Amino acid sequence: MQSIVRLKGVTKDYGQGEVVVHALRGVDLSIQTGDFAAMAGPSGSGKSTLLNIIGGLDGPSSGEVEVEGRSIINLSGTKLSRLRRDRIGFIFQSYNLIPVLTAMENAEYVLMLQGVPTARRREKVMALLKEVGLEGLENRFPRELSGGQQQRVAIARAIASEPALVLADEPTANVDSKTAAGLMDLMAQLNEEKGGTFLFSTHDQAVMKRAKSLLLLKDGRIVYNGAPVENLDEAE
Amino acid sequence: MIVRLAWRSIWRNRRRTLITVSSIGLGLTCAIFFIAMADGVYVQLINDAVRMQAGHVTLEHPEYRDAPAIDLYLPDTRALRTQIEKMINVERTKLLILGQGVAKSGVGTVGVSVMGVEPSVEAKTSPLVNNIISGRYLEDTDGSLIVVGSKLADRLHLKKGKKLVLTTNDVSGALTEELCRVAGIFETGVDEIDGYLIQAPISFLRKLYGFPPGGATQLGVVLKKASAQRKVIKWIQPIARENSFSVYPWQNVMPELASYIKLDRGSNLILQAILLFLILFTIFNTISMSVLERNKEFAVLKAIGTQSFHMRAQLILESVFIGLIGCFLGLLVGGLASYALQIWGFDITSLYSDEISISGFAVSPIIHAKLSGSMLFWLVGIVMGATLLLSLIPMRRATNVNIAETLR
Repeated sequence: MQSIVRLKGVTKDYGQGEVVVHALRGVDLSIQTGDFAAMAGPSGSGKSTLLNIIGGLDGPSSGEVEVEGRSIINLSGTKLSRLRRDRIGFIFQSYNLIPVLTAMENAEYVLMLQGVPTARRREKVMALLKEVGLEGLENRFPRELSGGQQQRVAIARAIASEPALVLADEPTANVDSKTAAGLMDLMAQLNEEKGGTFLFSTHDQAVMKRAKSLLLLKDGRIVYNGAPVENLDEAE
Repeated sequence: MIVRLAWRSIWRNRRRTLITVSSIGLGLTCAIFFIAMADGVYVQLINDAVRMQAGHVTLEHPEYRDAPAIDLYLPDTRALRTQIEKMINVERTKLLILGQGVAKSGVGTVGVSVMGVEPSVEAKTSPLVNNIISGRYLEDTDGSLIVVGSKLADRLHLKKGKKLVLTTNDVSGALTEELCRVAGIFETGVDEIDGYLIQAPISFLRKLYGFPPGGATQLGVVLKKASAQRKVIKWIQPIARENSFSVYPWQNVMPELASYIKLDRGSNLILQAILLFLILFTIFNTISMSVLERNKEFAVLKAIGTQSFHMRAQLILESVFIGLIGCFLGLLVGGLASYALQIWGFDITSLYSDEISISGFAVSPIIHAKLSGSMLFWLVGIVMGATLLLSLIPMRRATNVNIAETLR
């Protein structure tokens, strides 16, 4: 199977002089196309930093990052922006929907950026919202939706443009366990049906178990990369 | 969708947006109202002055402007006058003889300015005709009848029907005098006019000064629209040159009035600039606050692939909406208030105990505003242009937001 993401010797340092924080210390990683991968590790282990670097939101201090076989290290801001718009979907822990746009408008935003004609994107997004269980709530603003519903809108927004890679930073952290299970079902279903690659960070063991593969980070290093395990201590 | 996003974004903080658009509206209202009022006063002042004096455009002997002397006159203006009166934008022409002399009555002697006029033309043109407080204004057939200012009449104890002797030098420099009779007394409220001016029929003064028929020191051209002045001067210049006459705009003939208006306009401009600065400061503050508050949102927009130009478009639209609503309010309130002032005027008599005069010309106590499309266009243009310029700084901040750091 082909790798959609490949990292080689990636480091990331924050700060300068004596107060340098080494967020990533030489990460080598390959994520296969179609994977449904979970990334776990204690707070400060580098999960979010790694997701940011893969998504082109932040640059590494050193090392090589490839997405779909193309290095993104030296891409200009505009090219990175296009890459994120067309090939990568983002799901954030705190949903980060645009508060003044309705559920449908939030979900269709990326399609609008891509220049998809209004009628076509409306049709697509309506179907998508139905698929994520938000039928009838299309015209509600984020403040009128529950946390779980907002995260479903965020998922719809992330996958509306059918990206090759969806990056989710603790997507179930702000919802209850039942809603979290529902969201995981939804993402797993989308992964199966649409064939997109999902990489998500999490602290939740139940969520990790749903993944096809598991990455375990500790102190900026990958300490485990393989099938999901019952006990994280085993992996370490 | 960017338009919708921008429109809804400005109403997130409804109170702040309302305060901002109200500030713009109020500032613009004040600017429109005061500029229109000042323009109204200028227009009225210029109109009265040029109609009482030598018109919007004045033709004189080429040397008269440098050293006004009675022998520097226009010998015969009849043919030229007919030509000028046929021109578009010309309301009428008027002939004047301006001279100096000494008025002597039974009680004393006063140095006076003498103005020879065509009574029938003045009756249709000059505001002085409406300032007669005793007797009547001149008529073409009046011969040696004159009208005098009220203060001059007081000093010389003149009343309607009383006689005075006017002594002066004629075009050859010889001393000459004529007996005149007072037909009426005028009062403009301006000391320079009421205390020293005598108006007499031009035919009488031609005789007194020894002018030929049709002769005058000035040929004034009164225009239908003051704005046509440049065009008319351009048309008159070649034919005036043929007759060896010089052509002047009223600004050269009444430099004190022109300077006053220029100075007043300048000081008004400074006040308007201060007002504009305050409006723009409010707009800048609002846009900056609104961008600072949404740092995280801009980071998210960038993260999901929004390009800088989309974000710029959104912020520009937000500024445009705020500017447009404010300008609409300003135009509505300021425009209506100024329009009302233009139609009905405002009587300032109660505010001033004395008559008001500027540069020796009386100002009507009923102030009428002068609203012009170009003034509204420029004011709105300046507010909108400056609003867009001011949004550049917050826009730069929004588009340069560090995604990873902001979302952390």
